[in-house]
This record gives sequence, C-alpha cells and structure tokens, in this order.
Amino acid sequence: MRVWKVVLLMNLALALGLGVGWLWWGRQARRLAEDLEAARVAAVPVGEREFKSTGIVRAGMTDLGLLVITHGDIPGYMPPMTMGFRTASPAILASVKPGDAVRFTLRGTPPNLAITAIEKTAP
Amino acid sequence: MTALFARWVHLASSVLLVGGATMLLLAGPSDRPTARRWEAWIVRAGRLLIALALLTAVIAVAGQTAVLEGRAGAWLDGAAMIRMLLHTQAGAVWLVRAGLLLVLGAFLAGRMNLADRTDWRAARGEGALLGLSALGLIAAAGHAAAVEPDTAAAIAIDVIHLVAAGVWVGGLPALALLLGLASREDGADARPYAVLATRRFSTLALALVVVLAVSGVWNTWAQVGSVPGLLGTLHGRLLLAKLAIFAVLLALAAGSRRLIPALSGEAVAIGRPAMRRLGRLVTAEAVLAALVLGLVAVMSVTPPARHTVPVWPLSIRLSFGALEATPELRSTVLVGSQVAILGMVALLASMTLRRLRLPLLAGGVVVLVAGIGIALPPLVTDAYPTTYRRSDVPYQAASIAGGKALFAEHCVACHGSRGGGDGPAASALNTRPADLRAHHVALHTAGDLFWWIGHGLRTMPAFGDRLSPDERWDLVNFLRALSAGDAASLLGPAVAPEQLWIVAPDFTFAVGPTPARSLKEYRGRKSVLLVLYTLPASGARLSELAERYALLSTLGLEIIAVSTDAEPDALRRLGDARIFYPIVTDGARDILDTYRLFSPAPHAEFLIDRQGYLRAIAAGGGTAMRDTDLLVADLQRLNAEKAAPPPAEHVH
Repeated sequence: MRVWKVVLLMNLALALGLGVGWLWWGRQARRLAEDLEAARVAAVPVGEREFKSTGIVRAGMTDLGLLVITHGDIPGYMPPMTMGFRTASPAILASVKPGDAVRFTLRGTPPNLAITAIEKTAP
Repeated sequence: MTALFARWVHLASSVLLVGGATMLLLAGPSDRPTARRWEAWIVRAGRLLIALALLTAVIAVAGQTAVLEGRAGAWLDGAAMIRMLLHTQAGAVWLVRAGLLLVLGAFLAGRMNLADRTDWRAARGEGALLGLSALGLIAAAGHAAAVEPDTAAAIAIDVIHLVAAGVWVGGLPALALLLGLASREDGADARPYAVLATRRFSTLALALVVVLAVSGVWNTWAQVGSVPGLLGTLHGRLLLAKLAIFAVLLALAAGSRRLIPALSGEAVAIGRPAMRRLGRLVTAEAVLAALVLGLVAVMSVTPPARHTVPVWPLSIRLSFGALEATPELRSTVLVGSQVAILGMVALLASMTLRRLRLPLLAGGVVVLVAGIGIALPPLVTDAYPTTYRRSDVPYQAASIAGGKALFAEHCVACHGSRGGGDGPAASALNTRPADLRAHHVALHTAGDLFWWIGHGLRTMPAFGDRLSPDERWDLVNFLRALSAGDAASLLGPAVAPEQLWIVAPDFTFAVGPTPARSLKEYRGRKSVLLVLYTLPASGARLSELAERYALLSTLGLEIIAVSTDAEPDALRRLGDARIFYPIVTDGARDILDTYRLFSPAPHAEFLIDRQGYLRAIAAGGGTAMRDTDLLVADLQRLNAEKAAPPPAEHVH
C-alpha cells in the first residue's frame, strides 16, 4: 500500500479514536450525574414521617391555626426559612408567643405536616 | 529541581521535534546526497528526541504528582501517579500527549519507501502533525486552562503561541545543521537546496514572529494583567527576562535576514562564507531559544502574576490619581503626551522613508524623550512595596467594626473622632494630621495606607510593632468605609441613574437559629433594603413594610432590619406585629458600627442594588419615612437597569 494511504487511514483512526473517547467521557459524566440523581430520589422514603427542628416564633395566627416560625435546617425536608406551620391543637398555639426560641416536632405525610409538639428553649 | 529540569528538556525536545519535522517539510524532498544525509539525521534525531521527551515526561509527571499530593514522597508512589494521570485534566493531557508521541515514535521507526513525492509529503506531514499536536496540547494543561472566563479562547491562543514558537525556535537547529552540512567542502551539491530552505524558513519565521508577538501580548494580559504584576512578581519578572532574551534573538534574526541575499551568489566562493556565517548566527539564535525555553519551563511551574500578591520594587509609580490633587498640571501631561506621539510618528516614518531615515530617526528619538519628560513627572507618585498588595481581609462589617475600635484606641488623638485631622493632640504637631475623610484617600491604594500605618509617614509614628497585619487591614477597611460614608452624604433617598458607585460593605447576620447569611449571598439575585430602626418610633414603618412585603419580594427585594440597640431579643420586643422579613438577632453590632458611618439617624434605610452597590439612603426619625410607592418605583428602575460589574472583594 502507498504510504500516503497509510497516513490517511492512520489519521482517520486517530480522529475517530479521539472522538469516541470524547463521547465516551461525556456519556460517563452524564450517567454519573443521572445515577446520583436516581440515588437521591430513591433515598427519600414515603409515608408518614417526623421531623424535629429549632426555631424562633414570629407570630401566632389563631384564626388560621398557624404558627409562623423562623426555623433552622429541617434535615431531609426543608432548608432554613420563615414560614407558617399548621398546629395539631390550639393548645400548642397558645403555649408560645412571638420572640420565643422553641424546639418543635413536625409529623405527617410531606408536604402535609403539622406541629405536634413544641417546647421553649432557654433564650 | 529535577522535575523542573525534566520539564525544560521535555519542552525543548518537543519543540525540536516539531521544528525538525516542519523544517523538513519546508525544504521539501530532494535527491541530492547531502540533503538526503540531512533528512536522515533529522529523522534519527527525532527518534532520540521522542525517547527523551517520554522519559522526561515521566519525571515531570512524578514531580507534578508530588506537588499535587503535597508530599515529597509521592514522587515515587505509583498509585498516586496513576491517580494524577486518570483523575486530573493535566494527567489526561499528559496521557494523550504521550500517546501521540508513541504513535509518532512507531511511525518514525517504520521503514518506508518514500521515493514518490506524495508519499514523502504524507510521511513527513504526518510527523509534523503528530509533533505539533503533542506540543500544542501542552496549553490545555498549563496556566491557560485556569483562565476564567473564556478558558477555551485562552487555551486556543496558547496553542497558537506554542505551535508558532515550536515551528520557529525548533526549526533553528535543523536549519543550522543544514547550513553546516552545505557549507562543507563536500556539501556543494545541497547548496541551492539549503538556500531555498533558508529563504522559505525566513519568510515563515517573519510571519511566526508576528503571531508570537500578538498571542504573547494576549497571554500576558490573561496571566499578568498589570504593570505591578509584571514588575512585582516572580512570574512577571521571568516574563521580562524572557522578553529581553527574545529581543536579542530578534536582533540576531534580523542580522541573519540581511545575510540571505549574499547566499545566492552563483560562485561558490561568494556563497560559502556567507553560508557559514549564517550557520553560526542561526546556532547562536538556537542557544538563546534554548534559554527562553528554560524560562518558559520555570514560568509553567510559577503561579501566574494575576494570582500572586505583587511586591512593588520601586519607590515611585505613575498614577493619574496624582492629577486629582493638582488639576493645573493636567494640560502639561496632555501636551507632553501629544509631543511623545509626534516623536513616535517620526520614528515610524523613519522606518518607511528611506531617504530621510537618519534625521527622522534622531529627531523622533529626541522628540519622544522630550514628550515623555514633559508628560510623566506630574504623574509620579510615591510608592511602597505594599502599594499593589491586595487586602488579606475582605471589606466586611466585622473588619470595619474592628478597625473602628482600633481607630478609637490609636488614631483619634491626632486624626479626630471622625478622621478630620482635628484630634486633641493635633494642635501640638508641626504638620497637620491628614484629613482622612477627604476623597484623596481614595486616590491612594489600600496598600499605601497599609504601609503608612505600619511604617509611619513624616510625623506619624509607625504602628507596625503594635498592630498585627490583619489589624492594619481592619484599619484600612475602616478608613475606606469612613471615606465612603462621607461620599454617601451625596446619595439621596431615591435611586438616581448615574451616580457614585459606593460599595455596600458586606456583613453577616443571623435570625434566631438560622445559619448565618451574608449580604453577598444576595448579590446577583436580589436587591436589599437594610433598615436600621429604633422602637417605638419606627414601629409603624416596619409594619407598613411588612404589609407590602409580598409585593416587594416579587420585585426582587429582601428587607433586613436591624435594631439600633442591637439587643438579641429584638424579635420579642416587636411583639405580635406579624413582621416576617429577617430581623437581625446576631451580628447587629458590626452592622451598626459600619452603617452608622453612612447615616447616624435613629431610623435609616439603605437601598442596595443586586450588584452590591449602595444606591439610596433615606434617614429620619422613623415616622415621616418616604412613601413605599416610591420604593416600588425605585425597584422597578433597578430591575430595568443594565447590571454594572460587581464590586471587587477587597479594597484596592
């Protein structure tokens, strides 16, 4: 075979090899990301769950049965934020007032949760 | 050291490989025995160079592994080396390059029948292509791969720079060899061939030098970026040394070009001495080029100047800021610069107009020097080793508050409580202490202030032994905030389109048990209304903001409220007011210390745009605050604005 043909074939093979390597790399990276996402989704169990967190009471809305709390991280459920939570009984609502630092328990099937227990912590 | 030497040898052999291959291509196939001998030489040298490049690559990779792993022992640790090769970009690039070199080695080792011109071109072209790919890929693992943004462009430009340098510099020894062989007694048969090759190389080299200059300037901008970086860092100085050698190299190259016409004398007697002289010049060029490659190898393991703290080596610097203090000198600078430009035009003209060359050249130099002499002196400012040093401590409320306390302890006696240079001890001094509020403070770099605090200035004592570097930076940050606070008095209660760009000092805060957040986290996402409030007067305003909070949030605003008494039970004292935006319970003290410099009123509202600039300040007793509708209009204006570049992290 003529040398120029050998060279041409060699370059084709090299380009092909590099291209395939590049694609394989890209697929590998995407598959890894997908696996990670799938594992994350699979790790969340369903059904009734319980979460505990701490927070500071911002307001009690007796008419709506809501307690607005600025809370820290609720592991596995929610990042820190200020939001209203349903309370399981009016007694829970009445037991705290704005400015109280509290430790509370949420129970229910996400996202349908309610505060089932609350206690003041030392300020 | 071994690894560095290995890098140099690796780079040099890669470059020589490329240069030899491209030089062969340039000269073209020939049936003269001496030309054949030269070609065989280059191919043999190529095999040797590949072996050398691969061997030094292994040593360089081992050295890089030790650096990456952070322990000298990783040098000979096979597992660590495999980790480096498989899991880092630099490793992948090394692998691909080694693969290309292996293929090239196998290709050169094979025996081929190259009698046909097409076959010869294909075979030699393949050698050049593989060599060039292996050389150009170095860019993908070098400093260029760390340039942000435009990484791809930086790598592409660096590839061009490397390839151009490889073809030019690597071609020199091959050319010197050809000239040497042809100028021998028995090399007469290849002399026309050598002349042709020299001509072609010379033309190509001229183009390559232009490419090198352009890509080099671009690289310098990307990696060094400033005069302090060039003069004040190791990387910059290496670059200067490289440029100096490069200048000598260019002079030699220009000398070589002038010899080329003498080569083409038909008589052997004319051609041979010139050829020998040219061969010597080209050899000298090759030696200088090897030095340049050594510097490049050192630079490749030196952190780029852009990412190093420069130490300014001179006691003066040039700054347009100096003109702010003496506006009357502005016209002098303008005239001087025009004179200098005239001189430069004359110099350029001297290169094209052959007849008037000497007078134009002399006149141009005189005028240029005179212009520089007129323009530069007014721009000269004092400078110190730390002048261009970036602050170690970010411009943050905690640092500013620390600086404020230090200022009260050490500086107030002379500079006064607001920095006006009117402290109780000031009258006893011969020289009046500097007014630190005046905006000329902004004309000095943070590094200047840092140096003065540490080393003193005229009557001011040095505090270097009493204050740690971080404390000195705290003071510098405080002075900047003081100066910014003074400038902020020009800000109105409403956003104006073209106004001062005052950076809002960053701060961190927490509400109850939430993790601490910082102002900077809102950057690029939300505008922030920082409210310093005093109860009970501010109560109504806080409730009004709470009522409109939903609308204001939709417009991309976050409200952060800080009680001016900085008590941790701020939330309790608001009672049942149903205010749900963040009320700071942690970090209030630092925020107050800092933002009180911008407005001391009992109730003050600071509107900070999403780039982190302070845009409006409304201050008052708390009751008669501005209408929320106006705030809504301001937010719509801010949202419609084109984003300004974000402020720098540190004081500059």
